Amino acid sequence: MSASDTASGKGRSYFWSAAILIALFVLVPMLLNFLGRSYLYQVANIMMIFALLAASMHLVTGVAGLLQLGHAAFYGVGAYTAALLAANAGWPFLITLPAAGIAGALMALLVALPTMRLVSIYFAVATLGIGQMLYLILLNWVSFTKGPNGILLFGGLKIFGQDFSKPAMAYFVVAIVAAASIYVIHRLSHSYYGNALRALREDDQCADAMGIDTVRLKVVSFTISGFFAGIAGALWAHTAGYISPPDFSFNVSILILAMVVLGGLGSLPGAIIGAVILIGLPEVLREFKAGDLRNVIVGIVLFASILFMPKGLVGEASALDLIRRQFGGAWRSGAQTGRIGWK
Amino acid sequence: MDYYLQQLVIGLSVGMIYALMAIGFTLIFGVLNVVNFAHGEVYTVGAFAGLIIITSFAPPLVAVLLLVLAVGALTGVGLERLAFRPFRRFTDEASVKSRAMREATLMSSLALSIVAREGIELIFGSQFQTVPLKLLLSEPIKLGPVTIVNGDIIIFVTSAIMLLGLQYVLKHTQVGLSIRAVSNNALGARYVGIDTNRTIVWTFAVGSAMGAVAGILVGLYYGAIFPNMGFAPGVKAFVAMVMGGLSSIPGAVICALIIGVAESMSTIFFPSVWQELVAYAFLIATLIFFPRGIFGGARERV
Repeated sequence: MSASDTASGKGRSYFWSAAILIALFVLVPMLLNFLGRSYLYQVANIMMIFALLAASMHLVTGVAGLLQLGHAAFYGVGAYTAALLAANAGWPFLITLPAAGIAGALMALLVALPTMRLVSIYFAVATLGIGQMLYLILLNWVSFTKGPNGILLFGGLKIFGQDFSKPAMAYFVVAIVAAASIYVIHRLSHSYYGNALRALREDDQCADAMGIDTVRLKVVSFTISGFFAGIAGALWAHTAGYISPPDFSFNVSILILAMVVLGGLGSLPGAIIGAVILIGLPEVLREFKAGDLRNVIVGIVLFASILFMPKGLVGEASALDLIRRQFGGAWRSGAQTGRIGWK
Repeated sequence: MDYYLQQLVIGLSVGMIYALMAIGFTLIFGVLNVVNFAHGEVYTVGAFAGLIIITSFAPPLVAVLLLVLAVGALTGVGLERLAFRPFRRFTDEASVKSRAMREATLMSSLALSIVAREGIELIFGSQFQTVPLKLLLSEPIKLGPVTIVNGDIIIFVTSAIMLLGLQYVLKHTQVGLSIRAVSNNALGARYVGIDTNRTIVWTFAVGSAMGAVAGILVGLYYGAIFPNMGFAPGVKAFVAMVMGGLSSIPGAVICALIIGVAESMSTIFFPSVWQELVAYAFLIATLIFFPRGIFGGARERV
């Protein structure tokens, strides 16, 4: 829904940021209100949650070039942390949200420390294995996670005692959290930090020789990505009110990967557009009584986008160009000297 | 003690299935240096094709296996054409080994596997298919102190025959020699006049045929044929390949047997729901402690 929000630079970058914020917080709710179906708010919430998931995967898979096949694991850890804390200990949303993020980040750190020295395909397979292990643990550790029965959250979404559980109210909560998180990811991936990640993606030995601490950068970016996946998990747990292991299976990891690939590896607007399309398309098709086709469509879209649009809908180069011109990010300060690069 | 022996025998026959799958992975990795994520779906296709053949013609088991072998080979050729050929525009060594190419084919095979799995699910539904009872390989056989079913023996014997057959093909036929040549050095093989594209197609045919047979054998053994059946064995075969050092067929077979036995032994100590974790634990341990695979040091390729 939104690429980036608060204006960071001067001049025209305010215009686009403001336009996106207005669209997100005024136009879309007005449109959804006009259509008058609370179901559509739920779809919008899922879209925003998956946009955040895709954005967090974009940081690792797109920018840092580490093919991740187990992203749903961190999403699941976040969701279960939030749900268990809320359901068993009665903690409020404002505490479970960061707790879920921290749990996701810790999990990602634990995964990253031993696996980061693996190269491309081995890393992908290691994350696949870890994602599956976590899924099996969620499914089979019945005494702790309630296994296949899932967890029901009766509390709903409460902030300072106010009830935000209705989809229309939850929309604003999700929108604020997702927009803020995506803004942070935007600042991370479109900055000298992001440039360093891109450098190690292209050639990590060369980046190492240039003085970039590649292993540390990879571990930190992976942890950050896990943090935001955890945040997305908490949003999901609190807005859906019910979570169960299939929400975090291998298929979900692939769905998120498909979003990032469809939008274009390394392009943040692409990841968000990919999420909107892959969540929205099955909903549109459902109107035409073709709801079962959801996963087939994910597969076909993924295949077609790799085959016909290897760069994705919004290729990395054009996305970076767009963001540099319209949003600036942390590159803005370098623009005065007319040089983009590592300081 | 008898129970241990029994689990050992079951583990060996399950391990043989993983070995059949792992060989497909290993052959394809050998010639192309890429992972074929759709291999699990070849196994599913084999099981469904076998089921259709059985329910419509009811031929003897050997005929079923031969037909499934053919179906698997065709599936492999189609898979190569759709998911791998389009990304092989450049044939020089640098781009064959490049990361972009590996990841593109990895994702294209992953995408095709989703399409295949969901397509099968749309046609047949996601529930277990009913296998005619008399065709189930579950006739008990008493073998000294252990009781096993005839499926264990059939799986073990069929797999052993296929493994020996594969060794013969690889060592003594034109196709097998060219497969070994390409996996040893693709560019060198081109220079001496081997048609690498054709060899790759053959590799997919051979590897997928073995995967498809594994599918129908398991389907008849457990009586469980469903669209998602290929995922778990696919991952385990992959683990076996990684443990075996990526391009060593004997290594992959031995590791597949280790995984099969370890899984079946784990049910003695843990509830059987945790059985699935064994392979993943092996995977992570291998990747962390033996990044080149347990048999990787020898570097015997195919």
